Amino acid sequence: MSEPSSDNALPEEFPTDLVYALASTPDLETCFAARVTGLYQSKDGCQTWHTAYDSLGISDPLPTTSVVLAPNYDGETHRNVLSGVPGGVLRSTDGGETWLVTILDSPPPAVSALAMSPNFVEDGVILASTTEDGIFRSANHGSHWARWNFGLLDLNVFCLAISPGFAEDETLFAGVESGIFRSTNGGRAWREVELLVGYEPVISLALSPTYPQDHVIFAGTESQGLLFSEDDGVTWTQLGAAVITDPVNSILLSPDFAESRAVLALSESSLCLSRDAGATWTQVPNAPESMTAVLAPQGIARGATLLVGQMGGAVSLMALDL
Amino acid sequence: MASKPEKWQRPRVVFQPDVHRGMLRGIEQMTDAVRPTLGPLPRIVLYDTTIGATGRIPELLDDGGTIARRIIQIRDRNADVGAMLLRNVLWTVREEVGDGTATAAVVFEATYRGGVRYLAAGGNAMRLRTHLDRGLREILNELDGMTGRVAGKEELTRLATVITREPELGKLLGEIFDIIGEYGRLEIRKGQGRFFDREYVEGMYWDGGLLSRTLITDINRQRTELQNAAVLMTDLEIEDPRDLIPVFTICVKAGITDLAIICRRMSDIAIGMLVMNRDKGKIKLNAIGIKTPGISVTAQRVALMDMVVLNGGRPLLQASGDSLRNVKLSDLGRARRLWADKSNLGIIGGKGDPKALRRHIAHLRDVYVSASDADDRGELQERIGKLMGGSATLYVGGITKTEQDYAKEQATRASDAMRGAMREGVLPGGGAALLGCRSMLQLRMAESVEPEERAAYHILLQAVEAPARTLLENTGHEPGEILGQLADVGPDVGFDVVAGQVTNMAAAGILDITTVVKTAVRAAISSAAMALTTDVVVHRANAPEALNT
Repeated sequence: MSEPSSDNALPEEFPTDLVYALASTPDLETCFAARVTGLYQSKDGCQTWHTAYDSLGISDPLPTTSVVLAPNYDGETHRNVLSGVPGGVLRSTDGGETWLVTILDSPPPAVSALAMSPNFVEDGVILASTTEDGIFRSANHGSHWARWNFGLLDLNVFCLAISPGFAEDETLFAGVESGIFRSTNGGRAWREVELLVGYEPVISLALSPTYPQDHVIFAGTESQGLLFSEDDGVTWTQLGAAVITDPVNSILLSPDFAESRAVLALSESSLCLSRDAGATWTQVPNAPESMTAVLAPQGIARGATLLVGQMGGAVSLMALDL
Repeated sequence: MASKPEKWQRPRVVFQPDVHRGMLRGIEQMTDAVRPTLGPLPRIVLYDTTIGATGRIPELLDDGGTIARRIIQIRDRNADVGAMLLRNVLWTVREEVGDGTATAAVVFEATYRGGVRYLAAGGNAMRLRTHLDRGLREILNELDGMTGRVAGKEELTRLATVITREPELGKLLGEIFDIIGEYGRLEIRKGQGRFFDREYVEGMYWDGGLLSRTLITDINRQRTELQNAAVLMTDLEIEDPRDLIPVFTICVKAGITDLAIICRRMSDIAIGMLVMNRDKGKIKLNAIGIKTPGISVTAQRVALMDMVVLNGGRPLLQASGDSLRNVKLSDLGRARRLWADKSNLGIIGGKGDPKALRRHIAHLRDVYVSASDADDRGELQERIGKLMGGSATLYVGGITKTEQDYAKEQATRASDAMRGAMREGVLPGGGAALLGCRSMLQLRMAESVEPEERAAYHILLQAVEAPARTLLENTGHEPGEILGQLADVGPDVGFDVVAGQVTNMAAAGILDITTVVKTAVRAAISSAAMALTTDVVVHRANAPEALNT
């Protein structure tokens, strides 16, 4: 287990540091951890960490709620990385060595998540959800952002999930305080998705890697566990009610989900694995305590390495033995 | 002393067979006037406006509803009865769905003509009407079964292009409706240049502006913006500035720095207090006064109700005995951003309960669906559109004013039709959907026991063929041969009159809007069936001027 060092004092509103989001290359050579105290980077397989905001020259911690790498990030020639901070989005084209700051419209919105088009290199589309101001969209690799909230009747957005077939179907989903919204035009307009009454808010979402064909959606709720739909959100089923009781902070699907049916669901007290699309669940043994974020850069196959972020700011590597 | 009426104006009672024959003459005249406008290559009807006026140019018309409206009287009084009956049907269809008048006319004429022939041979009009009405219900069910959804920018663009026959306008309307949805707010304005353009505005806005120009803080943009503002929503009139002190006190205690007071009226002295406080006040409270949207008391209440759902809080209403002296912090709504200029108020990110907002909009949609009055539906659509989080403005271009007027009219009609298509779906176009009802009608005719029932299905078979037949004639094709070719194909297949070939209409983007086709067919057949039961006509002494309806 390694703990990214932080010399910065915590902002008043945060009692403790924590990891909001993780991003990594599949070989784990380059990893980023978005934390209350800023964005941290490791270039040695998560052994040592350093702040990625050195070049900004700021003394106060810059809480960073999200981080994403471009799909073609290779650590050498292609090194686009974007992070969400209060009031704006930072983007770097050199793997975090230098940053360009984009201020989002006033009053400063709190960015809750970033979602990048799988075709980002060509289409330049990236979306930022915020907890009070809805969704911002950029179609030029994050240089300029505009609010697109047509039909989004709830501007408290906690998470985004983008279709793997985004280049064709332009579909993405937003989990909000009152349920789920869907866009079928690249995030320019939103329509309500029917959800069981009382199951909101939705704080995490995941789409099947073959979503354009199977229309499978997983939704993590704050108080009602994990929901599953295989008809594009028309009907929902609650999964793992006996095992998953805490708020579901993160859902990961295996890249070969269509065959393996493997799903990971992270809640504060447990990391649960299903190999039958959520019908049955097992708690992953030896998972660290107080987990806040999880990433599976190598998929969810047996023996794959997971990155787990925790309260306090630590990031752990763990092998998936189940 | 009144002049003696001419012979044709004298009072008269007319009996059969003159009633049916006369009415049919009028129906045929009216239908013939509208018939050329059916299809993608419409011909123009010229309305001569030059009589009695110099310098006026004739009106060029391609819309059946307007053409019918321009025909206000036919000299043959028996024919006039039929023509005016059809005129009313066509205008009703035009008002209700914005299109479909030519379809309604030819279906009406075919139904009426077939009915007259059968009745002349001794049939019973009431029994025939009963079976026509039953057959109509079956046609409508059949159309429902053929209806498909239209969604996505591409499909909407194709549909808009079919409706407007103008690719540039169709492309913009496709994009706009993909974004704003079927209930979204769209303003159509005349633009500056030759071309079409569009603009999207975030948030909701109403027509209540700042109560005084002295409240404007952004001089360049002539508006005032507030952030994280508290919003007091009331229909009270604020005369005494001291009435505002409790609200100010509550805000200051709660750490609120921006306050919008939406009220019916505010005295100059009260406005002066807001300005004074903003510029020189000891307390840090930027407060502005905004006129409650709406002119009537009812409209103001409706606007306040919508705003409260959006922002949270509670409206302070005169009728409930509320006053500003007993205002509480929980009465104030909150908005992430709020702007006002001299004529509008905009709210972005109201802090009301989002679940309540979703329920409220769902309720308004239900009311919309069940509303029958066109004005009520219009108001409900506007309310829903306002709450949807944004609006679009389409700027229509044109070199001359006439061209711009025409483009605006065309865009308005098309947007009404698009909304209908998104709500109720689309059918294979070019008359193919109605032709697709033929097999069902033939089956019913074969199963018929009563002569009137058999006659009704026979008449309906002719009626559902009439739009396709007219469309083919209008485009220079031979109807008999092509209708024969289409006899054994499915309802999705029709004849593309532009390409001149049999094709899958949906795949070719040739679509009709379900609600337009259904409204036209329903109005035409039920009105024609009713007209067939007319046995006697009483002409008044002086034929009144036709009403300008």
